[in-house]
Amino acid sequence: MSSPKTLPKDAQVMIQILKDMGITEYEPRVINQMLEFTYRYVTTIIEDAKIYATHAKKSTVDADDIKLAIQCRMDQSFTSPPPRDFLLEVARQKNQTPLPLIKPYCGPRLPPDRYCLTAPNYRLKSIQKKVSSAGRISVPRLSVGAVSSRPSTPTIGTPSAAKAGTPVSLTGQRFTVQIPPSSQTNVSKTTTPFTPTVSNVLINPSLIGSKNILITTNMVSQSAAADSLKRKHEDDDDYDAL
Amino acid sequence: MAAVQGGMVDEKEEVDIKTEPQSDGLMNTNATDGRQLSPSPSSSSSAGSTKSAAGAPEDQQTLLAVLQFLRKNKLTESVEILRREAGLPEDALDTKGADCSAPSSGGTAGGVDGLDAGSLLSRVAVSSSAGTPAPTKAAVADDQPDVSVVLSAYSQQGDPALYKVYYSDLKKFIESVLDCHRAELSQVFYPLFVHMYLELVYNNHESEAKAFFEKFSGDQECYYEDDLRVLSSLTKKEHMRGNETLLDFRTSKFVLRISRDSYQLLKRHLQERQNNQIWNIIQEHLYIDIFDGMPRSKSQIDAMSGSLAGEAKREANKAKVYYGLLKEPEIEVPLDDEDEEAENEEGKPKKKKPKKDSMGSKSKKQDPNAPLQNRIPLPELKDSDKLDKIMYMKESTKRIRLGRENLPSICFYTFLNAYQGLTAVDFTDDSSLIAGGFADSTVRVWSVTPKKLRKVKSAADLNLIDKESDDVLERIMDEKTASESKILYGHSGPVYGISFSPDRNYLLSCSEDGTVRLWSLLTFTCLVGYKGHNYPVWDTQFSPYGYYFVSGGHDRVARLWATDHYQPLRIFAGHLADVTCTRFHPNSNYVVTGSSDRTIRLWDVLTGNCVRIFTGHKGPIHTLAFSPNGKFLASGATDGRVLLWDIGHGLMVSELKGHTDTVYALRFSRDGEILASGSMDNTVRLWDAAKAFDDLETDDFTAATGHIHLQDNSQELLLGTYMSKSTPVVHLHFTRRNLLLAAGSYAA
Repeated sequence: MSSPKTLPKDAQVMIQILKDMGITEYEPRVINQMLEFTYRYVTTIIEDAKIYATHAKKSTVDADDIKLAIQCRMDQSFTSPPPRDFLLEVARQKNQTPLPLIKPYCGPRLPPDRYCLTAPNYRLKSIQKKVSSAGRISVPRLSVGAVSSRPSTPTIGTPSAAKAGTPVSLTGQRFTVQIPPSSQTNVSKTTTPFTPTVSNVLINPSLIGSKNILITTNMVSQSAAADSLKRKHEDDDDYDAL
Repeated sequence: MAAVQGGMVDEKEEVDIKTEPQSDGLMNTNATDGRQLSPSPSSSSSAGSTKSAAGAPEDQQTLLAVLQFLRKNKLTESVEILRREAGLPEDALDTKGADCSAPSSGGTAGGVDGLDAGSLLSRVAVSSSAGTPAPTKAAVADDQPDVSVVLSAYSQQGDPALYKVYYSDLKKFIESVLDCHRAELSQVFYPLFVHMYLELVYNNHESEAKAFFEKFSGDQECYYEDDLRVLSSLTKKEHMRGNETLLDFRTSKFVLRISRDSYQLLKRHLQERQNNQIWNIIQEHLYIDIFDGMPRSKSQIDAMSGSLAGEAKREANKAKVYYGLLKEPEIEVPLDDEDEEAENEEGKPKKKKPKKDSMGSKSKKQDPNAPLQNRIPLPELKDSDKLDKIMYMKESTKRIRLGRENLPSICFYTFLNAYQGLTAVDFTDDSSLIAGGFADSTVRVWSVTPKKLRKVKSAADLNLIDKESDDVLERIMDEKTASESKILYGHSGPVYGISFSPDRNYLLSCSEDGTVRLWSLLTFTCLVGYKGHNYPVWDTQFSPYGYYFVSGGHDRVARLWATDHYQPLRIFAGHLADVTCTRFHPNSNYVVTGSSDRTIRLWDVLTGNCVRIFTGHKGPIHTLAFSPNGKFLASGATDGRVLLWDIGHGLMVSELKGHTDTVYALRFSRDGEILASGSMDNTVRLWDAAKAFDDLETDDFTAATGHIHLQDNSQELLLGTYMSKSTPVVHLHFTRRNLLLAAGSYAA
């Protein structure tokens, strides 16, 4: 603590307050932070009180206005936890329901997807290039309800004669994309972040809830890496329309 | 007389609107005999109203007050109509003293200023009285004129200026009492002081409150110093509004445990004097749990007092607690695992029968103290869990047996350059990973072993691997991004609690932003954010079997969650202040919470009820640890003491003094032989837990009084003190082989 003579009066008052409340060890910057807070708080209260006073058509701000301002601010910013009787009541209700049974063999036990943070929170815009070298990427969708059926997409450019895959078809809430024959849909239990090579994400909504299975099918991009693999591209406009 | 009793009971109930429901009935059992002997005026004056107070006491009271008001204003016709309609009997109004009964010795509503005491005094003098002092009647008659006053929950017992006199009278009496009783009766001082002070403040007698405080605050016990400091800043009624803890304190009863002899002394003294204000306040705000036995000594009382609500009633600790451990499942150890064991090198014949769990699984019969396997639903064992268990059993065979002669080695993990931002630490059970929660809202995970941290490959790469290969589990891991440590971002406030799941797949973290986050340790991303506490969450822990976790926070409740439910399954409400520490019992059927109100509560997961209350700490509790056999609990708080509790009987069994600062970490060794405690005073201390729990004389007889004699053997139990350079110890962990790991952040 520096010598009190050089400190401004407010800081001295703050030091005294801290001492009265029994706080003996604190970093010196705490005083500055407390003073800032005090200044901001008092200013807010007085401004609020002025508003209330003018609303009540009073010429000066009096104690009642200040009291009202403090009360309103307290309910707004400095909320306190709910009172005990309320908590006891809520607890009583909640504790009455028996503990839910645990389903066996479930994979990762997570809440329904809406409550998880596992969905990708971005969307990729499609590149509308007809150039064959452009990598076609399509948008993964995890929102199940918003799916509408799409027409099967024409294949463009590259021959797909050798493909064993069927054209894209949509059933009610499911995207199914058949891709290069070798890879079957594989189940991975992880929530993988989207990488540019993953072009399509298949979610089986019927499994959502207790399982969080992302079935990813690989759509190989037409970049240099893809040599002989046939490519099927999606018409991305339909995704955007959803 | 019976009617009188009943009536007074009713009045009591109608007034204590905010008190806990169960305390009402209990209060009466203690106070009824007191009431019988209370001076006749009160009883006779209450006779009138008792009959009317039969039905709905609260409403009757209000009706009476309204009636009285109308009378005062000479609205006789209205009076008649009201009386007729409300069906109030005539004699309810006959004696003016009838209404005096409303706030009689039972303590009732009405807290009007003593300003109109003068006018009321004259009226009161007319009514029947037998020498009750004016202040009593003044207070008693105070509520008549004001209807609203009837409904306020706080009473004014007497003239505020006389509070000092009452208190000093009591002080003089207690000081003159026999030594053996004095310690017990001195317990009354603190709650009485606080309640009287709060009453003065609540009823806007600011100057009297200040004077009262100044005069008597110095007499209180030293461990109440912090509370008194908070009180001293509370001088107006408005200050009390936002302070939930104080409001709860006002409305709940402070529990005192006094032996019958001392209690009789006190009662006799307070009732033989005409001035029984203190008696009124005691009856209203204190719950005196009387036990038959020797009066306790000062040290015994000091050991158990200090909490915000007094001690624990004996009834609170009577419920049966299943503290035994769940049976370990029998796991067949497959042959090929045995091949890897070093012990088989001598060519012993390979054992084909399953290895029994050597960790204390007893006979096939159900342990009577253990809960049934299906008492609460627990997740079934997956194959990976079974492998983990096999590893565990193997490691435990190599475990060092600790004891007084054989102290563990301690390995300290110091977090450098954390700039005091380290707020939580956890180790996995097999000690392969450390996680640290920091004030900059990050969670960092390190690998302790040379094996680096790897996350699962992206979906694209996963497609390329050969799924049929034997080591597919290694192949799914991404080597390119392997690193010693990983940082998890997501919280928006300092991370105060961390917990690994037993299967090492998940990590929980709770933070000041009010959420608990579940992170996957396979992908190192956040999976779920559990919102429920809207206030800082101070601690969280996974259940020893996974799937469930508990969290406790500033909103004074602890919540039990399951990873697949976005809302809590159980809410454990009851603490008066923040829940600072939450732990699961080894059998996952109970949760223990430590709080800033200096109590520890044990909750049943199945029903959500509080089955044990332990008091004794003098500061907020920061750490709790169960012994591996589930029978005992150790707790550490800011007062530097470590207390040991017997859960089955609900008693404090030992007090370990030695630390000079907050105890932040406690851990029992794997066999329960040694208790390690780490503290802010930069030391780790080892205590002989086996000796502390040896030859405890806990049987039903001694447990009936609610306390056993504590031996002052802290020094004998202390096995060693190990100082770090300047690093407070934040976390302790015994490896499966009984090596002690400690963690802390270097504070230069």
